[in-house]
Amino acid sequence: MSRKKELISNIGLRLDGRRAGELRRIRCKLGVFSEPDGSAYIEQGLTKVLAAVYGPHQVRGGRSKAQHDSAIVNCQFSMAVFSTGERKRRPRGDRKSTEMSIHLHQALVAAIKVELYPWTQIDVYVEVLHADGGIYPACVNAATLALIDAGIPLKEYVCACTASLANDDIPMIDISHQEEVMGGPTLTVAALPMSKKVVLLEMSQRFHVDHLPKVLKTALQGCVDIKNILDVTVSNNVKEIGSSTRWGNMT
Amino acid sequence: MDEQFRILHPIKYYRDHINNHIRPDGRELNKFRPVLVNIGSINTSDGSALAKVGDTTVICGIKAELCSPKVESPDQGFLIPNVELPPLCSSKFKPGPPSEEAQVVTQLLADIVKNSKCFDLKQLCICHEKLVWCLFADLICISYDGSLMDACVIALMGALKSVQLPLVDYDPAIDNKLVNEEQKNFVNIQGIPICTTFSMFDKNILYDPTQEEENLSSCTFNVVLMEDKLCSVHKPGGTPISEQNLMECIEVSKQRTNTICELIDIALKKNKT
Repeated sequence: MSRKKELISNIGLRLDGRRAGELRRIRCKLGVFSEPDGSAYIEQGLTKVLAAVYGPHQVRGGRSKAQHDSAIVNCQFSMAVFSTGERKRRPRGDRKSTEMSIHLHQALVAAIKVELYPWTQIDVYVEVLHADGGIYPACVNAATLALIDAGIPLKEYVCACTASLANDDIPMIDISHQEEVMGGPTLTVAALPMSKKVVLLEMSQRFHVDHLPKVLKTALQGCVDIKNILDVTVSNNVKEIGSSTRWGNMT
Repeated sequence: MDEQFRILHPIKYYRDHINNHIRPDGRELNKFRPVLVNIGSINTSDGSALAKVGDTTVICGIKAELCSPKVESPDQGFLIPNVELPPLCSSKFKPGPPSEEAQVVTQLLADIVKNSKCFDLKQLCICHEKLVWCLFADLICISYDGSLMDACVIALMGALKSVQLPLVDYDPAIDNKLVNEEQKNFVNIQGIPICTTFSMFDKNILYDPTQEEENLSSCTFNVVLMEDKLCSVHKPGGTPISEQNLMECIEVSKQRTNTICELIDIALKKNKT
């Protein structure tokens, strides 16, 4: 254990110079492409993710999949083979990607008002171009933005964030790849930050159960912070689109 | 009204435009879309580039790995391009195994690199018969709007130009590899092949077609030039074109080649500073 480097130095800074409760810089953009119905790009630190949404459209493939009371949400996670340090063998279809796709689906279904579109399908494609920790949160956030851009009704934002426990005591937020590799548990939370509901919770490695409330609280705070950042982007985007049709100046 | 007409009678819609020597996106028939190149945007890869031709966007990342060479070419490394057309880039593509188009583009790209002799595979050799570099060039199309080959070739060449390989000390006697990450060298590139796509609509030639134009046209072909030398002309069927037209296209590609080469050089300089 003594070999393990401290995740937070004694002056309270992390390896990349952030404080424990500080997010990495988030840059995002809506409507990056014209071909899909909705698209978004997000950068969280060095993690870069693209998301595209097609639909709601007619169910493709077997018609038997169609549901009479809700839309099918089809998610596909894919990771560029050059996005990680070691070259990945397959961009998708391996177990980790499949798991990611399922988790993404679970988080998004909680927010999309699927009951409004019976007999239809909504495709969400996510592509990771550069992986530097917190891939899942970036994917969820990008997918949310893309859904908003596509104009699909959501109950509210669904945001995700990671948190960890440093030095067996201090909770830290938004874990980078370096911190992931160095060890320390990672708690991934996808939440509906406005109604404070947790949609998905996943933890790797163990820590004492007494620490859980504070780590969870940190992660949820992260979700709220991210939601606020996304909200600014969305309203700016709406203003921009609106001003081109001259209703942005009405207020 | 315009949009309905476009969806219901696309061919008539285009014909009406083209008879007036203008395309629906506002270009004249012999105008190209703007090209954008950004080099070195992904630092997990050994070399990367993003190329945009109009709305078509391709990102290329090159990863280098060590491997042993083939028996028949003991002094040559590998450069393996792979084009991916994920369902993200267009509604045309479905999830699943690589589409036919992706495979065709991959093969075409490999042929261009091989035939143009722009990249000498011998420089990837570290130890004869024992150890060589293998460059995996993965290209992902993130937005598809026609002239895919143009964007792919630019992205690949841009990425290749930015590849830096570390020095490797190899001792064949004890099979010991020592990778010196501190000292990195650029790879040598003899020239930059540039691809230009054309489409034939009725009797007119459209330069740099969009996806819609490619679908409606009777034939699409591309011309690849390296500096002033012709590397390849790929015309997979469709209506025949006259020799005169073809020569005209080659002449136009020649001019475009120079501008794009300059563009790549500028992007490369920007990345280095």
